[in-house]
Amino acid sequence: MLGFLTARQAGLDDPLRLRRAESTRRVLGLTLNPDRDVDRIHANGVNAIDIDAIEGRYMLSGGADGVIVVYDLENYSGKPQYTCRAVCTVGRSSRYVHKFSVETVQWYPYDTGMFVSSSFDKTMKVWDTETLKPAEVFEFEDTVYSHHLSPIARKHSLVAVGTKSPKIQLCDLKSGSKIHVLQGHRGEVLSVRWSPRYEHILASASADSMVKVWDVRRAAGSLFTLDQHNGDKSKAASEAVNTAHNGRVNGLCFTGDGLHLLTTGTDDRMRLWNSGTGENTLVNYGKVCNDSRKRLQFTVSRGCSPEFVFVPCGSSVAVYALHTGEMITLLRGHYNNVDCCEFHPDYQELYSGGKDCNILAWIPVLREADLDQDSNGENKGAAGQTSLNSAFQDAWSSDED
Amino acid sequence: MELSHRERISQLVEELTTSGQSQLHQENMKDLKKLCKVSNECIEHVYHSLMSQLNQEHAQIRLSAFQISSELFARSHHFRTLLVDNFQEFLELTVETDSDLPLPPPKEVARKLRALSIQTVQSWQTSFGSSYKKLALGYHFLKQVKKVDFQDVEARTVAERRREEERRRKMETIYRDRVEAASKDMEDSCQEIEVTLTEMESCMKLLFPDFSLENIQTGNGSSLDDGQPCCSKDLRDGEEQGNKHGRRKERKSERAGGSNAGGEKDKQEEEEEEEEEEEEESTDDNLFIRHSGLVSHTYSLDLKLSPDLHVTETEDNEAVVSTVIDLHKLITTKHLPAVQSWIQVFTRSGAEQPLLRRALDLKQSLESTLQKHKELHIDYKGRAPPEGKAGEEEEDDEDFEEVPEKEGYEPCIPEHLRMEYGLDPSPSTSAAAVPKRPVAPTPPPFYSSSSSSALSRRMRRLIEEEQDPTSAAATLSHLKKQISVLSECSTSPSAIAGPSSSQSSSAHKPVDAPVVPFGLDLYYWGKEQPNAGKIIKATSQHQFWVPTEVEEEVENHELLAESKSRYISFPGTFTPVSHFCKAPLANGTLCQRQDRHKCPFHGPIVPRDQDGRPCLNEDRVREERRKREQQPDWRDVELMRDIEAATGEDLGSERAFGKKGKRKKKKKKYPNLSDLKQSSNTSRSRLERKVFNKSSMRRAADVMKQSDRRKHDKFSNQFNYALN
Repeated sequence: MLGFLTARQAGLDDPLRLRRAESTRRVLGLTLNPDRDVDRIHANGVNAIDIDAIEGRYMLSGGADGVIVVYDLENYSGKPQYTCRAVCTVGRSSRYVHKFSVETVQWYPYDTGMFVSSSFDKTMKVWDTETLKPAEVFEFEDTVYSHHLSPIARKHSLVAVGTKSPKIQLCDLKSGSKIHVLQGHRGEVLSVRWSPRYEHILASASADSMVKVWDVRRAAGSLFTLDQHNGDKSKAASEAVNTAHNGRVNGLCFTGDGLHLLTTGTDDRMRLWNSGTGENTLVNYGKVCNDSRKRLQFTVSRGCSPEFVFVPCGSSVAVYALHTGEMITLLRGHYNNVDCCEFHPDYQELYSGGKDCNILAWIPVLREADLDQDSNGENKGAAGQTSLNSAFQDAWSSDED
Repeated sequence: MELSHRERISQLVEELTTSGQSQLHQENMKDLKKLCKVSNECIEHVYHSLMSQLNQEHAQIRLSAFQISSELFARSHHFRTLLVDNFQEFLELTVETDSDLPLPPPKEVARKLRALSIQTVQSWQTSFGSSYKKLALGYHFLKQVKKVDFQDVEARTVAERRREEERRRKMETIYRDRVEAASKDMEDSCQEIEVTLTEMESCMKLLFPDFSLENIQTGNGSSLDDGQPCCSKDLRDGEEQGNKHGRRKERKSERAGGSNAGGEKDKQEEEEEEEEEEEEESTDDNLFIRHSGLVSHTYSLDLKLSPDLHVTETEDNEAVVSTVIDLHKLITTKHLPAVQSWIQVFTRSGAEQPLLRRALDLKQSLESTLQKHKELHIDYKGRAPPEGKAGEEEEDDEDFEEVPEKEGYEPCIPEHLRMEYGLDPSPSTSAAAVPKRPVAPTPPPFYSSSSSSALSRRMRRLIEEEQDPTSAAATLSHLKKQISVLSECSTSPSAIAGPSSSQSSSAHKPVDAPVVPFGLDLYYWGKEQPNAGKIIKATSQHQFWVPTEVEEEVENHELLAESKSRYISFPGTFTPVSHFCKAPLANGTLCQRQDRHKCPFHGPIVPRDQDGRPCLNEDRVREERRKREQQPDWRDVELMRDIEAATGEDLGSERAFGKKGKRKKKKKKYPNLSDLKQSSNTSRSRLERKVFNKSSMRRAADVMKQSDRRKHDKFSNQFNYALN
C-alpha cells in the first residue's frame, strides 16, 4: 500500500493502478460485518436488489410478498456502526402494491426519481419515487420473470421484458406502450440484459437452454445464439440448435466493460462468453449450485484488476476470479438460498438477499482493524479500545486448572 | 500442537460422544477443557472432530457432541468464531432447520436434542448475539423464518403447534358429538330401563316376597297370609290338597328356602312341619293337643336357615320365571353395556356432573338388581342352561353363535337323524366293527318298533329303497347280510373280532382283546385252505394261437406260509419319561431334555445332584475324561499362545479361549449407544424380508404366469376368454 502511495506521489504510476489495487484488496477482504446492518423489512424472501447508478446511495429491494423497499446506504453518522434505514416502502397496505412476488426491480439509470418493477402478477410498474405511485403500468399476458433498462441508452428508452411466453417484449417508456416483440426462443424467457457497451445490443436467456443476443434495430431475428461447444458438432449431441447450457439458463450478466457475458444454468455451470463473437471462452468455474426455477441475479465487480464474479451458490455467495475461474472464497451468512446479489462499485461492498428474508451487507475489512489487532496482540492485558469485545474473551473457569 | 495432544483429544471426543448418556462424563470433559486451554490449534482440532461427530447419523452422538460444543462455546472465543462461521450447518444438524435432513433416530433423543439446542441458541443469543453477527442472524432466522417459539417448552415450530391444536379441536368436537349422542340415547332409553327395573323388581317379589329375615322371626301366620302375593298363594294352594296345614307349610317353605320343590314332598319335610306346628300353637294347650296330638310344649327345635336362597321353577311360577329370564337377559345384554358406554363417554369427555351422576345411578340400580337376581339362585328347571345362567356366565359367550354341525364328518349323530344317514338307529362304537346286534337277513324288526309315525314312514321308505340295488341303503344291507353269513360260517368263538363275541359284548365287553383286521386266515380258521399257495394260470381259450404247454398250477411255499400266518405286534404301553438329563449347561442351568436312555448332547443319562454333577464316582471320572478328550492337547490355550507369539500366525487361541464374549464385543463398536438397527428388526420388517424376497417374488410370479398361460392355452381359440 505504501509502495503504491509513494509511486503515485512520484508520478510513476497511473492513478488507475492504485485505485485498482486498493479496490481489489478490499474485495478480497469482504466479510459479514457486525457494523453494518440492513433493516429487516421483508417478511418473505428477497428476490431482487438494485443500487442506483447516479449516487450509489439508494438501494431497491423487491420481496416475494410483493413489497418494494428503498434503503439509504450512505453512512453520515461518522461511526462505523450503521444500520441501513428503509427510506420508503411500498408495503402490503399500499393500494398500488404488486399482488404477487416482485421478481425484478431497477432504478431508472439516470435518475433516482423513478424505478421500474415487474412481478408475477403479470404487470410491470414504473414508479414515481416521490409519491410511491405507479406512473405507468404495463400489463402482460403471462407472469413476468425479468426486465431490464439499458444503462447507457441515449437514443431510446426501451425496457426489455422477459415473460413466461417465449417472446421478448420491448416497452417504450416514452410512449408507454409495447412497441416490439423479439421472437426466437422456445421456452420462457428467464432473464434479459442490455449490453453496457452498445445500447442496441440485448441478451436473453431462456428455459430452452438457449442464450440469444439481439440487435433491437434488426427485427428479423437474433444476431447469434451462444453455443457451448463453439460449433464443434461432434460434441453437440445431434441437436440442431445451439445451446448455452444443458438446462434452464436463469442467470445473465455482462461484465462491466460489456466485452464478456456470463451465464448460469441449472446444470450447475457458469460460462463466460465473448459477447462480441458469441464464443465460449471455456473458463471452468467448477460446480455452481443452482436449482432456482426463477431468475438468478448475480453480479461482477468493477474497477478491480482481476475482476471478480459474485454468484449465489446455495446458501452462500461464491466469489470467483472472472477470467481464471478460480474460486476465491465462499461468503457464508445466509440461512437459506440466496437469490440475488449486487455489487456497490464505489465502496466495494456487496449486498445479497435470500429466501431467509435477510439482506446482508458484506463490507471490506478495514486496514486499521489489522493494526489494531497487532497492537492488541502486543498488550493484551490492557483494556484498550476493545470495550465491545468482552464477548471475545475466553472464559475458562478456574476450576479447570 | 503435539501429536499426543491430538490423539488424546480425538480419543476424548469419541469417548464422550459415544457414551450414550444424556449427561457428559465430568472427568473426561474436564480433561478435554484442560487440553483446549493449551492452544487454539487444539480448539480447532476439537471443533473439527466435533463437527464430524455431529454429522453422524445417530441422535445420541449428536446430543453429546452438542453438549460438548455448548460447554466450549461458553468458554472459548476461538471456538465461538469457528462455530459461528459454520452456523448454518450446525443448526441443520441440531435444530433440524432443513426439513430434507431430519434428525436421525432414536426419536426420543432427537426431540431432546432439538429442545436443548433451541434453548441453548437462545442463551447464546442473549450473551453473545451482539458481538457475533451470524449468531444473531441465525437466531432471527429461527425466530422469523422458522417461527420457532423460544418460550415454548417443547420448542415446536408453528406448523407442529398448529397441527397439535387442530388435533385437539377435532378430538373435542368428536367428544362433544359423542356426549350429545349418549345423553340423547340416555334420555330415550331411561324410561325403558326404569320399566325393566320395576318389572324385574316386582317379578322377584312375586317369586320371593321378601329377603329380610326379620319378617320370619317376628311375624305370625295370619299377618303373612294377608300380604301373600299370588304366586306364593298358588304354591300353597297347590299343596293344600295333600296337606291340611297349608299355612304353616307355606311359612316353612319360605324359611327353608330351596325346599320348595313343587308337589313332591319327602318325609323329612313332613316331620319338620309337624314340629313347627307344635311350636306355633304353644299357647292354646287343648287346642294344640287336639290338633296335633303332641303332648309336651317343651320341644326344642333347630331351624336351619340357609344363607342363600333357592327358587325352583315350577309349573306355577313358570311364567314369572320366564319373564325374569327375559328381563335378566335384557339387562345384561342391552341396558348394562349401554349404561357403561355412556359412563365411559361422559368420563372421558368430562361432561357435566348431573349427566354422569344419572348414568352412575342407573348403573347402580341395574347392578343391584342383577345382584338380587343372583342371590335368588333361581333353579331354571328344564331350560337351556346358557340362557338360564346368563347372570353367572360372562357375556362374551353370547358372541358365539351355535352352529349345528353339517355335512361331512359328524362325530355323534342324534338318534332321530340316524335314519337319514342310512345308519342303524343304535350308535355303533366304530365303523369298522361289526354291528352289535344280530343282523337279521330280512329287514330288522326294530325298525317298526320306533314310536313316531314319521319315523316309521321313513323306515318304510328305507326298506323300499333297499330293494333298489343301486341305492346306498341297498349296498349297506347287502354288506350286513354278507357279514352275517360270515359270522355263521365262523365256527370257533374266537375273541378276535368274532361277530358272535361282539354279539354278547353289550353285556360284558372283553377289555384287552385286540381287534385285528379280518383276513384269509380267519376265513379258513381251523380248515384246510383249498388253493393256498397255488398260482393258477388260466389256459388259453384261443382258437389258433395256442401257447406252449404251461403248468397250470404252481405250488408256492412262501405264498402258502403267508396266507396261513398273521403278524400281531405287541407294542406294550407308553410310559412318559419323568427324569431330566440335568447335565450342566454353559449358561449355568441344567439340561432339561427328557430322553429315556441317552441325551443326544450329554450322552447316557446318569443320576446327578442338583448342581448337575454325577452322583456316582465312575460317571464323574468318565465325564472328566471325555472333556479332556474333546480338546486335543495341541489346542491347549497356553501352548497355542506361545506358538503364536513365536511364529506370529493366528492359530485361533483367542477364539478357543473366550468364544462368545470376544466376538460380541467386536461386533458392536459402541456398546453404550442404542442400536439403531435393532428397531428395524420388527415383525413387519422380517415379514417384508420374507415376502419381498426376490426368489419368492419370482416364484409367485411364475405361478401366476403359469396359471395365465394355462388359461390361455385352454381358451386361446375363444376370443372372449383370450382377451382377459
